Amino acid sequence: MPSTLSRRTVLRGLGTTVALPVLAAMSETRLLSAAAVDTQVPLRMAFFYVPNGMHMPDWTPTQDGTRFELPPTLAKLSEHRRSFNVLSGLALDGARAHGDGGGDHARSVASFLTGAHPRKTNGADIQNGVSVDQAAAKQIGDATRFASLELGLEASAQAGNCDSGYSCAYASNMSWRGPTNPVAKEIDPAAVFDRLFGGQTEKSTRRAKSTREKYRKSVLDFVLEDAKELHRKLPAVDQRKLDEYLYSVRDVEKRLEGADRLRLSEDGVPDYPRPSGVPRELGQHAELMLDMVALAMQTDSTRIVSFMFTNAGSNRSYPEIQVSQGHHSLSHHGKSKEKQAEIAKINQFQIERFGYLLTRLGSILEDNGKTLLDNSMLVYGSGISDGDRHNHDDLPIILAGKAGGRIRTGRHIRYENGTPLCNLYLWMMNQMGVRADSFGDSTGRLKNLG
Amino acid sequence: MSPRNLVVSASLLAALMVGMGNAASADDAKDESSFRTRLKPLLRAYCYDCHGSGSEIELEKYRTAAEIKKARGVWVRAIAQIRLGAMPPEDGERLEVDTRAQLLELLDDLVNSVDCVNNPNAGKVALRRLNRAEYRNTIRDLTGVDYPAADGFPGDDVGYGFDNIGDVLSMPPLLVEKYLDAAESITGQAIYTPKPSRVFELDQDPSKLIDAGKYSGGSGRVTLATQGTVALECEVPFTATYKLTIAASGDQGGDEPVKMKIDSGRLHKVIPVPSEKVEDFELQLRLVRGRRRIEISFINDYYVPKKADRNLHVHHVNLRGVEKRAIISGDVELPASHRKLIFVTPGGDVSPDQASTEILGRFASRAFRRPATSQEVKRLVQLAAKVRAESGRFEEGIQVAIQAVLVSPHFLFKVETPKELDAQGKMPLVTQYELATRISYFLWSSMPDDELLLLAHRGQLREPARLLDKVARMLRDPRANRFVKNFAGQWLQLRNLDQMRPDSEIFDTFSDEIRELMRRETLTFFAGVMRGNLPVTTLLDGQFTYLNEPLAQFYGIPGVKGPDFRKVSLVGTPRGGLLTQASILTVTSDPTRTSPVKRGKWILENLLNTPPPPAPPNVPELEKARLTGTLRERMEQHRANPACAACHNMMDPLGFALENYDAIGLWRDREGGEAIDASGKLPDGTKFKGVGELREMLVTQRRDQFTRCLAEKLLIYAIGRGTEYYDKCAVDQIVLEAQQHDYKFAYLIAGIINSDPFQKQGYRE
Repeated sequence: MPSTLSRRTVLRGLGTTVALPVLAAMSETRLLSAAAVDTQVPLRMAFFYVPNGMHMPDWTPTQDGTRFELPPTLAKLSEHRRSFNVLSGLALDGARAHGDGGGDHARSVASFLTGAHPRKTNGADIQNGVSVDQAAAKQIGDATRFASLELGLEASAQAGNCDSGYSCAYASNMSWRGPTNPVAKEIDPAAVFDRLFGGQTEKSTRRAKSTREKYRKSVLDFVLEDAKELHRKLPAVDQRKLDEYLYSVRDVEKRLEGADRLRLSEDGVPDYPRPSGVPRELGQHAELMLDMVALAMQTDSTRIVSFMFTNAGSNRSYPEIQVSQGHHSLSHHGKSKEKQAEIAKINQFQIERFGYLLTRLGSILEDNGKTLLDNSMLVYGSGISDGDRHNHDDLPIILAGKAGGRIRTGRHIRYENGTPLCNLYLWMMNQMGVRADSFGDSTGRLKNLG
Repeated sequence: MSPRNLVVSASLLAALMVGMGNAASADDAKDESSFRTRLKPLLRAYCYDCHGSGSEIELEKYRTAAEIKKARGVWVRAIAQIRLGAMPPEDGERLEVDTRAQLLELLDDLVNSVDCVNNPNAGKVALRRLNRAEYRNTIRDLTGVDYPAADGFPGDDVGYGFDNIGDVLSMPPLLVEKYLDAAESITGQAIYTPKPSRVFELDQDPSKLIDAGKYSGGSGRVTLATQGTVALECEVPFTATYKLTIAASGDQGGDEPVKMKIDSGRLHKVIPVPSEKVEDFELQLRLVRGRRRIEISFINDYYVPKKADRNLHVHHVNLRGVEKRAIISGDVELPASHRKLIFVTPGGDVSPDQASTEILGRFASRAFRRPATSQEVKRLVQLAAKVRAESGRFEEGIQVAIQAVLVSPHFLFKVETPKELDAQGKMPLVTQYELATRISYFLWSSMPDDELLLLAHRGQLREPARLLDKVARMLRDPRANRFVKNFAGQWLQLRNLDQMRPDSEIFDTFSDEIRELMRRETLTFFAGVMRGNLPVTTLLDGQFTYLNEPLAQFYGIPGVKGPDFRKVSLVGTPRGGLLTQASILTVTSDPTRTSPVKRGKWILENLLNTPPPPAPPNVPELEKARLTGTLRERMEQHRANPACAACHNMMDPLGFALENYDAIGLWRDREGGEAIDASGKLPDGTKFKGVGELREMLVTQRRDQFTRCLAEKLLIYAIGRGTEYYDKCAVDQIVLEAQQHDYKFAYLIAGIINSDPFQKQGYRE
């Protein structure tokens, strides 16, 4: 793809590259060994969020089943139409007001992966639920170096109110490790690259690295003891904060111990340049970040990813596609045809980026003879359906990938309107090997996917 | 500012408060009467039908004002429901807008009233971690190293409008990883450690020696059967004493052993090779960096045919050198931070542990913003010793111990130990060191300097004269620019300028450079008012600003030359004050046009502290075709809908007063052919026309409301938590103190620092 090439050329920053595992198709020995040993290829799941709802007339197919026409927004994924399902009728009850008044944007992202109803507060007593990615990471995250990755493209809000009485913590984060612990996202592709592969690429630095890791461990042990002692002295409100610290220190420590588990080959294989920062243009930024998703999954550095295109209620304009008004302002379209057309343009711009990822994952062949896309479950959508109505039912949701053959794809499945989105999550968690009988406001496992 | 005046005012205040003590019981009586005569009838009409006796949420059972106050939690929720319009329900009694407002006011007065005399709660801030800006500043002040990568830490979430709120600042694993990276990089920069010594080693197959080809060889050796020379030539990477090892043997014959001579530079040495078995011959030689040649010669050939044949066999040559470790001395340029941090080195009477104790004791005490305990220092010294034992280097031990300090919760969090109420149940004071930390993070976004720590050490931080003198100097210090940047940048939402993308076709004079200059104008203006100790209302009506040439050109203001910002008078122009600055006018606009609604909302939120509620969802659409006329006319038709009117009657007129400024803040008289109408009328009947009269209204009629708003924002920023109903007393006092001193800026700051929430530790309710 020429555009990819030019982007890479532009971004060939510091010249660090990472060697990827030999593609199964390219290596005879590996094919042989794959046949001989365990052919179990892990499942991956990822969640992609876009804010402000969709222009639904351009989203929802009119027919159900396999023979449906792709409406204009979904048409941007036409080359992958056999690899995803459109799920209509799912709902996010937690995002509804329930007597809390305005703030649908913050609420919808806070509940998007948790199914919870976040407590309305500007800061004190933040309370949400645990998100699906984190719940799964807690049970099965040990299998990989990173239990999960949390990524995005837009920095947290820097000032002001995020959404009528809701702290910006709700609007800028969608992964929640615990009801009071949002998990911050990384927005710089270079930083993600360094986290994933830092120091693993040059043989000569390995010894230095092991010394460094040894010292790191001493440092972490040291501060852990500090923190434990401090913990005993503090009141509950402060202990909660220190608990976060303790958790994080232990988590980093655990990762150091598993550092050698990265499956990297040094042989002549396709390499990827270290990105050199955050591109100004959103499309480039998105693709670079989605490359990181692909790399992380391909190297089995993690199996669980959450990805926020932009924050809840984002009012970014899109000069890239000649949309000069803010996304959120536009979403309050008041049925204006012009504004709806602009919204549709933004929807298409974003879903094209998702299509870019599907293409990448679809081109990576794994040991079971399937593509990485086939071995994945990728949810894409928004916690708001129509941006003007702020409704949280009949949500725009796509489920891409075949879960290693467990999903029949290429369909538009219409569920009874109001079916909890969490039913989908519960089903997905179970496929990943997570033991759970309920999640969020689930009423059962989503049917009809297989 | 004059400290003396502040002292006087503090005592005045104290006197006032004593006077207020007698009013408490009178207030109670007033509450009861207000409840009986005004509030209860409303509750009966609108609430008790459903919330009567036996109902799930029974409101009727609270029969006196005192009982209501005791059940505050229930009533706070009731207020929220009424305010949102969720109660009474649609099928219930219809509550008119005015009556709703009246009911809310009565309830609020009663439920959220605080007894300011009897020890009001001073509140409790949740354990606050350093945010990105504070981290970078603190590191700079602590180690002398600037760490710009801190800007790439995950974003600090915002609560109550600011990014330094303890409850909201989280600590995910990603951040701990970044703290570790940072600690390594910072100690690496701050403290010089010699690189590990290089080792040079060369193994030479003798057949590869120079001129080896002239002699017979085979099976990995060179045989010099006649007098002659082979040589080793190589690039020596560093100057050192090298060890040359030659494996050699000799065919002996005649009356002396085989003699081998080594020549290299000034070295000439003859070595006997007496055995026929291969032996290693070693010698030390000093080689200077560069290309060097070592010659191996056979010097005593002896040959008697069939009787004796003396030959030299060279089997292997090895050259090895270890670079002498650079000792930290005059020949290395030590970073200033190194000399500052490592002010003792081991040697003489000072053991490494003693030196570590001094270095780490001082460092940890500054980093923890209080004296480090001996146990803490002991553990750090042990850590340093462990690393030293492994690496052999003192400095590396110190580096790792300092890394531990920089990742310690005592550094990353502003720890405040819990305190007990005293015997009278009075709110306890925070310690002197904790107070020093609160002050320095408030005014400098960084750690206390040595002077503050010294004042704390001596217990002098609550001596009014000393404190005020210090605070005045802190405000003049360049570090107070961080307060301007962080507080004003967030209060006025200047940080959001980055996200503004005015349509470049309509606003072609806007650029990234202008964006930066706009922001700088407003920050400089704020700093000017602060450092000049001007009345805070000057922020709204100051007839001056700060410009440089490109920005003045952008505004169309003549006579400003050069790139430096300077104070420019605005007397006689339509500009003056925050509301006329391009930064604020841009941040409250849409990309293609002005938004009177956003501007009005901005004024209500940030200047008057009365944020309007969000628009109700699913507002019946304004069919574009049905709306006609100018933006103003369309907005007026919009307000015909009562669901919208309640808030827009406030927001829109305020915003329309600024219509003479376009979406990037430039002046205009007409828009789309129509003359601009910048008049407005508030629901209470106040009329004004244009920004001049709006400003006038804000600094007279609304002066106290504005001051109170600013005081509350400052208090939130200063203590790192949202304000609660019980903070009302503190805010009252702060505003009172400012009033008594002509609203001068420094008195507002001093009022914050002297307030109970800042000085004391309360609890969460």
